[in-house]
Amino acid sequence: MSVRPIILENIVRIAQQQKKPLAPLTDELPLLESGLDSLCIAILVASLDDSLGVDPFDRDGDVAFPVTIGDLIGLYEHATA
Amino acid sequence: MRNVLVTGGSRGLGLGMAQRLAAAGFQVVALARKDSDALAAARAQVAQEGRGALHFHAFDLADIDGIGALVKDLRGAYGPFHGLVNNAGLGTAGILASMPDSAIEQLIRLNIVSPVTLTKYVVRSMMAAQREIGQGGRIVNIASIVGSTGYSGLSIYSATKAALVGFTRSLARELGPLGITVNAVAPGFVDTEMTHTLTGAQRGQIARRSALQRLPTVEDVAGAVDFLFSDAARNVTGTVMTIDAGNTA
Ligand SMILES: NC(=O)c1ccc[n+]([C@@H]2O[C@H](COP(=O)([O-])OP(=O)(O)OC[C@H]3O[C@@H](n4cnc5c(N)ncnc54)[C@H](OP(=O)(O)O)[C@@H]3O)[C@@H](O)[C@H]2O)c1
Repeated sequence: MSVRPIILENIVRIAQQQKKPLAPLTDELPLLESGLDSLCIAILVASLDDSLGVDPFDRDGDVAFPVTIGDLIGLYEHATA
Repeated sequence: MRNVLVTGGSRGLGLGMAQRLAAAGFQVVALARKDSDALAAARAQVAQEGRGALHFHAFDLADIDGIGALVKDLRGAYGPFHGLVNNAGLGTAGILASMPDSAIEQLIRLNIVSPVTLTKYVVRSMMAAQREIGQGGRIVNIASIVGSTGYSGLSIYSATKAALVGFTRSLARELGPLGITVNAVAPGFVDTEMTHTLTGAQRGQIARRSALQRLPTVEDVAGAVDFLFSDAARNVTGTVMTIDAGNTA
């Protein structure tokens, strides 16, 4: 199972719903410059927890917050591996 | 049917709210530590009337660590939730200077830590369900007029109720972009098990000091919650509805 398309699809859907213009999504794109705000990221994490059954941030702060889209995908790939 | 979770729905105000919301067509899950005869009778009545639905779910809300799993279980059993009423609460009275530390801790845990944690997980579940059921949702926190007035012997209780109001206002701002409304209802003194220690004289005094010279009822408070869950309240958020027969007027 590949989490990459699931994450990207969720990002696009949530940004649309929250009316946030998205930058072109590349692995190098910093999350802060993607167009997603903190609420969008909270919705993303909740949606992925629901569909993938994992929340890599649910470990009392010992996970460094990912800097780029690639880091975010890597974190979930690692958590679901 | 849209799902609504009512904590402390087995008796008192919570039972009144659960019945009212079921009658309005919601599928209501009443949560408490133990089932009650009154709730069982209400379930039978709702089933007979064939509108809405009413269920019981056992859980001890003092088990903060179990709340995440509780919400997952509820979602699995009933599907996504549209609404939450944080009603369960303790009404422990006592002069602060002589209150056991453990009682202070217990009161704050059940009246604040528990509802905010439950709200966190229900909100996450609402966020995740947007794809299925779209945006929107309703959260109602049951506060109390003593959160903003004052009553000797209820300092910790009052602190927890004032905290719920602060929580309500900021969360309304946070969840507004999702179309989720967050409001509080602040009842005055209502005759329930929580207030059974009040004497007849104290009740009479509270009634005399109220503009309408009487106490509000369970139905009055349930009616306010019913309104906040109705389409008519779609543009009401971040506010406190006081239901106290004019006690604080
Ligand atoms: N009555 C009033 O005059 C008044 C006025 C203002 C505000 N309020 C507020 O309204 C709310 C309801 O009050 P009420 O008078 O209806 O209270 P109540 O008659 O004492 O009922 C409390 C409900 O909460 C449940 N509950 C208590 N501890 C629980 C726990 N650890 N886990 C799960 N459920 C628990 C109880 O069921 P179990 O015991 O089976 O768990 C019951 O269903 C409270 O938040 C209260 O502060 C009441």
